[in-house]
Amino acid sequence: MTDEQAAKEMLDDIKKIIEPSKTDKTIMVELSKTFENAVFDVAVPSPNRAVARVDPGKVKPIMQFLLDNGFDHLSCISGVDYPPDRMDVVYHVTSYSGPLVITLKASIPRDDPNIDSICDIYWNANWYERETYELYGIKFNDCPYLKVLLLVEEMEGEWPLRKDYAGYPNPT
Amino acid sequence: MTHEATQITSPPKSSEILLHLGPQHPLQPGPFLLDLKIEGETIREAELKIGYIHKGMEKVFEDRTYIQILPLTDRICYLASNSNNDVYCRGIEELLGIEPTERAKYLRVLTNELCRIQSHLLGIGEYTTDVGFLTMFIYMVREREGVVSLLEAITGSRLNHNYARFGGVAHDLPPGYKEMALKTLGELKKLVKSHDEMLSSDSIYLRRTKGVGVLTTKVASELGVAGPPLRASGVNYDLRRIEPYLVYDELDFNVITQTDGDVFSRVKVRLLEILESIYIIEQCLDQMPSGPYKQDVMPYITRPKPGEVYSRIEDPRGEMGMYIISDGSDKPYRFRIRGPAFATAQALPPLLIGTYVADVAAIAASMDSCTSEVDR
Amino acid sequence: MGLFITIMDYLVIFFSTWEFAPWVRGILGGLVIGAVFGGALVMVYLERKFLGDIQSRIGPNRVGGRFGVLQLIADAIKLFTKEDIIPAKADKWLFIGAPIVALTSGFLMVAVIPFDLLMIKGSEYAVAVSRMDISILYLEAVSGLSIFAIFMAGWGSGSKYSLLAGFRNVAKMIGYEVPLGIAIISVAVMAHSLDIVEIVKAQSTWWFIIAQPLGFVVFFIALLADVGRIPFDQTEAEEELIAGWATEYSGMRWGLAFFAEYLHAVVGSFIITLIFLGGWNGLPLIGNLYIPGIFWLIAKTIMVIMLFIWVRGALPRYRIDQVIDIGWKVLIPLALLNLVWSTIIGLMWA
Repeated sequence: MTDEQAAKEMLDDIKKIIEPSKTDKTIMVELSKTFENAVFDVAVPSPNRAVARVDPGKVKPIMQFLLDNGFDHLSCISGVDYPPDRMDVVYHVTSYSGPLVITLKASIPRDDPNIDSICDIYWNANWYERETYELYGIKFNDCPYLKVLLLVEEMEGEWPLRKDYAGYPNPT
Repeated sequence: MTHEATQITSPPKSSEILLHLGPQHPLQPGPFLLDLKIEGETIREAELKIGYIHKGMEKVFEDRTYIQILPLTDRICYLASNSNNDVYCRGIEELLGIEPTERAKYLRVLTNELCRIQSHLLGIGEYTTDVGFLTMFIYMVREREGVVSLLEAITGSRLNHNYARFGGVAHDLPPGYKEMALKTLGELKKLVKSHDEMLSSDSIYLRRTKGVGVLTTKVASELGVAGPPLRASGVNYDLRRIEPYLVYDELDFNVITQTDGDVFSRVKVRLLEILESIYIIEQCLDQMPSGPYKQDVMPYITRPKPGEVYSRIEDPRGEMGMYIISDGSDKPYRFRIRGPAFATAQALPPLLIGTYVADVAAIAASMDSCTSEVDR
Repeated sequence: MGLFITIMDYLVIFFSTWEFAPWVRGILGGLVIGAVFGGALVMVYLERKFLGDIQSRIGPNRVGGRFGVLQLIADAIKLFTKEDIIPAKADKWLFIGAPIVALTSGFLMVAVIPFDLLMIKGSEYAVAVSRMDISILYLEAVSGLSIFAIFMAGWGSGSKYSLLAGFRNVAKMIGYEVPLGIAIISVAVMAHSLDIVEIVKAQSTWWFIIAQPLGFVVFFIALLADVGRIPFDQTEAEEELIAGWATEYSGMRWGLAFFAEYLHAVVGSFIITLIFLGGWNGLPLIGNLYIPGIFWLIAKTIMVIMLFIWVRGALPRYRIDQVIDIGWKVLIPLALLNLVWSTIIGLMWA
């Protein structure tokens, strides 16, 4: 590749970042239109925030849709424990050009918590998924290198951030 | 960027050795383990292992009342303690549905910018020692003393400030503060300009930094790095501008960006941001309205209504976010801290592949990581 | 001053009557080694004080009054009383041997350094432990020994950091001994001798730094690399390799290794003074101004040491590949150019 081509490609990349297609709230309308049965409870609690629940099975296509529409930055993935029956995986997705933060929540059963990994779509999801895994025991299918990140290796299987965690070294 | 780039995938061959940088190493701002597989001086694979000072803050916070958490947010990262107070207070204010008073907003912006200046000064200093320039480190620490004293005059402490409160701040400005601040900052401005000139003209320094550890615009945004490293790659992403909080929409400032994305531009961004912060502080001191600096009745003991909030601000290192879920009791149900250093640290191993051992110090330090915040 | 010269005269006459018998040389050697030892201590102190000034801090200021003159004694006592640790994975003999080899090489270099030249009754006496007619060649050879010391430490410590530092050192030295050697040859060509005393005598009117400034620059840079000081201290780059080849050393062994480095730096400053800055000769065209040559020599050496410290305070560190680049691609061509130049000048002078 010549330098000119490379420079041109770089310019295109920069343009894409500066002028994304849609980073305002119309994305939520489109999102619920495109994934009719997978996105529900859409709410806009404050000007720069949007919240929705999603079907855990459809997380990957939804994320791909958001990425294609200019939401190119994954802020955070967190787990929330709601004993006795469910756990939430919460995704905060935003873009490098707009203030809107989309909070997507996927509820999964607490006795068999697993969800698809989005590492292929957002590169930086890897560490967030590993962290959520070690703290909550949520398995991210196809996550590369799903192992402990912050805890010592002996603590794998303790899931310390679950609400019923009794404390190390007591088993939960 | 593939995920293999973050791992050491195979044991070293006979021509390679496995070098452990850490958990204790002079390069580091705190303990972490950087495993390098090297062949001669060239790095083939790198893996970062963190968690050596994992404090379990998210779990601890679930067992503290809201006001008890406030001083603990200082300890997420001592260099950004003021910003951490602020992002937490903004989250709780949103949950409670209150607004800080106008003067408190200006005071918070003022302390946040001072906090940014002292963090950047130490960041540049640490960076310059890592390319063997000890003199510059000591100059930076000397300059930082003045800024820390300015913070101390407002907040009463030099390191963990614990200054912001729900709906206000802890103290008002001391008398004669404006003159003191303008004097110190005026000197600082001159010194920073002269240091900038020194760093941009030193040929050895340029050879060590230009074209080293390059993050292109595309890769930087893909890897999710935050703050000055991201802006050094040409991404114009600053929450002060994109999502103006407090009074940033009333203030005039530039978002500093550079296009090269190498180690040199990351340091340059920090240097120029110091000047920009000084400009913001000068405006704050001029425009600050008189009036109460806190609410008439401060909500020290609070039980926010059930709900959730994702509050974020531009920390010295990038986007600092806190996701707080309240269930109506006096303690948060879930408290998630999304630190900028965590995101930046994750992007370190792919950057190191193919560079020399000597560049590890330069690249890692130019990211200005904070292990305490990475591990939380 | 007059009294001093008289005493020196008497001493030398006393020695000369014994025709520099072996035991006289022994005493002289002891004195000189003690003096250079003291010189290295002075350099450590100067470095800490002067570097402190550059970096706007105070430097040693507690032990021994306001100026901390006894700081080094306190440090030495601390090092002596520390536990002597030999790592389990170390190759014991190499590990123990490395500081000894480093110090030995430093002391062997001291042997041929002349401090003054006295003319007594028509015959000249060099104040040196040993006068050789190939002393500069000998210096080169002996200083090369220190490379072995660093590689011994690098290999013998059983630590990867030390090993990397050992590699770096050998790679660096191969590149830098060559320009160093060529710069010395240029001087020797001009002075028509390999004897340092003759080289200094050849500078009695004009110093060699004036005749071949390029040679001085090459020699100074190569010497910085040779003694491993910033910007060429890759072998002990703290942020990359902890302390490089000295990582595993502690207590007195570390003290010896550290001291050997400063000894090399002091001896290096002496050599630079002797072969480029006129040695014990006074200023060009002005002469000695009735001050004994040894004071001129020491004053100039201290200036060179200060220059070393100044460079350390003002510059960052090169990367190892850049260092080797500079050695092969810049210094060696410059050194060769200087050799041609000095040959032409030398022929014209002759």
